[in-house]
Amino acid sequence: MVSTLAMSPQSQGLRLGPVQVYAGLILLLALSMLMSLTLGYKLYSLDQVWMALFAHDGSEVAVVIAGLRLPRALIAPLAGAALGMAGVMVQTLSRNRIASPDTLGLNAGASLAVVVASIMFGVQSLAGLSLAAAFGAFVTAIVVFGVAASAGGLSPLKIVLVGVTFASLSHAFVEVLLTSNEAQLQQLLFWLSGAFVDRPIALFYNGLPVVIVGAVIGIALARALDALQADDSTAAGLGVPLAAVRGLAFVAVALLTGAAVSMAGPVAFVGLVVPHAARRLVGLRHIHQLPAAALFGAVYATLADVAARFVIYPVEAPVGAITAVVGAIVLLVLLMRRAA
Amino acid sequence: MADLVPSRIEVRDLTLTYGHDTVLDALNLPIPRGKVTVLAGPNGCGKSTLLRAIRRLHTGQKGQIFLDNVDIASLGAKDLARQIGLLAQNPSAPPDMTVEELVRLGRYPHQAMLQPWSEKDGVAVNRAMDGTGVTGLKTRRIGSLSGGQLQRAWIAMVLAQETDVICLDEPVNHLDMAHQLDCLDLVSKLNQEDGRTIVLVLHDLNLAARYADQLVFVHEGRVRALGQPEELMKPELLAEVFEVDAAIMTDPVHGRPICIPRGRARAAVQELA
Repeated sequence: MVSTLAMSPQSQGLRLGPVQVYAGLILLLALSMLMSLTLGYKLYSLDQVWMALFAHDGSEVAVVIAGLRLPRALIAPLAGAALGMAGVMVQTLSRNRIASPDTLGLNAGASLAVVVASIMFGVQSLAGLSLAAAFGAFVTAIVVFGVAASAGGLSPLKIVLVGVTFASLSHAFVEVLLTSNEAQLQQLLFWLSGAFVDRPIALFYNGLPVVIVGAVIGIALARALDALQADDSTAAGLGVPLAAVRGLAFVAVALLTGAAVSMAGPVAFVGLVVPHAARRLVGLRHIHQLPAAALFGAVYATLADVAARFVIYPVEAPVGAITAVVGAIVLLVLLMRRAA
Repeated sequence: MADLVPSRIEVRDLTLTYGHDTVLDALNLPIPRGKVTVLAGPNGCGKSTLLRAIRRLHTGQKGQIFLDNVDIASLGAKDLARQIGLLAQNPSAPPDMTVEELVRLGRYPHQAMLQPWSEKDGVAVNRAMDGTGVTGLKTRRIGSLSGGQLQRAWIAMVLAQETDVICLDEPVNHLDMAHQLDCLDLVSKLNQEDGRTIVLVLHDLNLAARYADQLVFVHEGRVRALGQPEELMKPELLAEVFEVDAAIMTDPVHGRPICIPRGRARAAVQELA
């Protein structure tokens, strides 16, 4: 019992075991999902939510709650959890604490795929667009991974450089396509900044198994990822098969990011911010870092989604704008600390 | 003597090339069991490459390396990591990693993918931290440690691996004199008390002569000479391998040979050539 406390990696600040952290985060998640169901353009009581979810009476209130509020109360935490876990793995793989799925170009690749699908292939349905997004993230992951690998080894720096290059390239294509197709600009613009609103619940059911597969891969690699936080020689000296672990972790990142983007569009910087919180709470071992990032990411995305309903009330802001602002602030703080 | 004590590791005809450069050239080297072997040589002679090859971190090599008469090429990655530990040159880990988290990494080759942390793992980690004197620092973040403390934490990480052979690549590079001795005394203790086979790459020839049971001079990708420090610390040999003109004396405290360089030895080299 003493040893559990002593084993806690927190020397400063919180002295909580992982179990307490998980319990606290699960409680917070339940609360924020409840907020997501009750708060919005209209406020609903807990009774009304209960009625709508468990005794659907066909009333307008029940339709709104079950059809509009419920999907986003499920999609937001799932997308947040996926991006949180993806962020942890990207930061470990690149040994770079300011890396995220955004830096690897995955969000940008997904956006490009959506714009191409919409403008060039006339895809209109949300399901079609989200499939395109997942496809885009996945293809970008493979291309970035492949180019970095063929450029002589998968060094952390190389992966990020290739990722940033592809991100800029994708952004450029997106802008060109959007500028020359103004008609679809409005519709795509909302999607491109990321949102949980107006999503059919089917997206949640499609995304869930993909996120689970990504999470399982991450947990299975937890110990190897721990060792990969050290330099390559040390990790190889411990017997970690570097290329195999990097390759598999990259697949997990692509699955998680692809699932998140397919549900919500590119919600910026979630994968950047969440890993920092997770490490502060449970330390650097991935067996705890990944679950903590999943839970914290879920809470963060859900709360951001609730906030998005009120910042320019009565109009709803895209949640990606909220997370971008928070992410930018966190990024600045990190950069300033590093400089200090 | 070499016949009485069978070699722990036997390097045979090892050739290693980077592109067109031959770094190691048909090199042969026995590494005796339970002894401290120090690889020394001028910059770029291939000594670090040799050490890394022994830990199988270099591929595309010709020749073989035997560990107890088994070709290491036939061993699995984790299997090899349970037998040979490596402290890399200038190792790095995130500054917010705690000492204990760092030392726990050493257990990686002993764990199956989803096998929970065992009591044996915990014992090995505690023993490694006790042996290196970092138990009191275990909740400290490694970014907050001094150079000497940090190096001891890294050695603890390698110790937690519980390997019988430990390779250390220039472990005292960035340490001040007191911490250099501290670190090498610790390595020497591991050898004397636990009988571990130690392979060290050292830059400082006097430290090499002081701590080595077997000193190895690597020169231009080959082993130029090996033996006890007294046999190798000869002016002619130092002139040829290190290009220094040096006087050799006996350290009055440890009775080991020490060299005092007078200057570069161009003339001596030309004479030998």
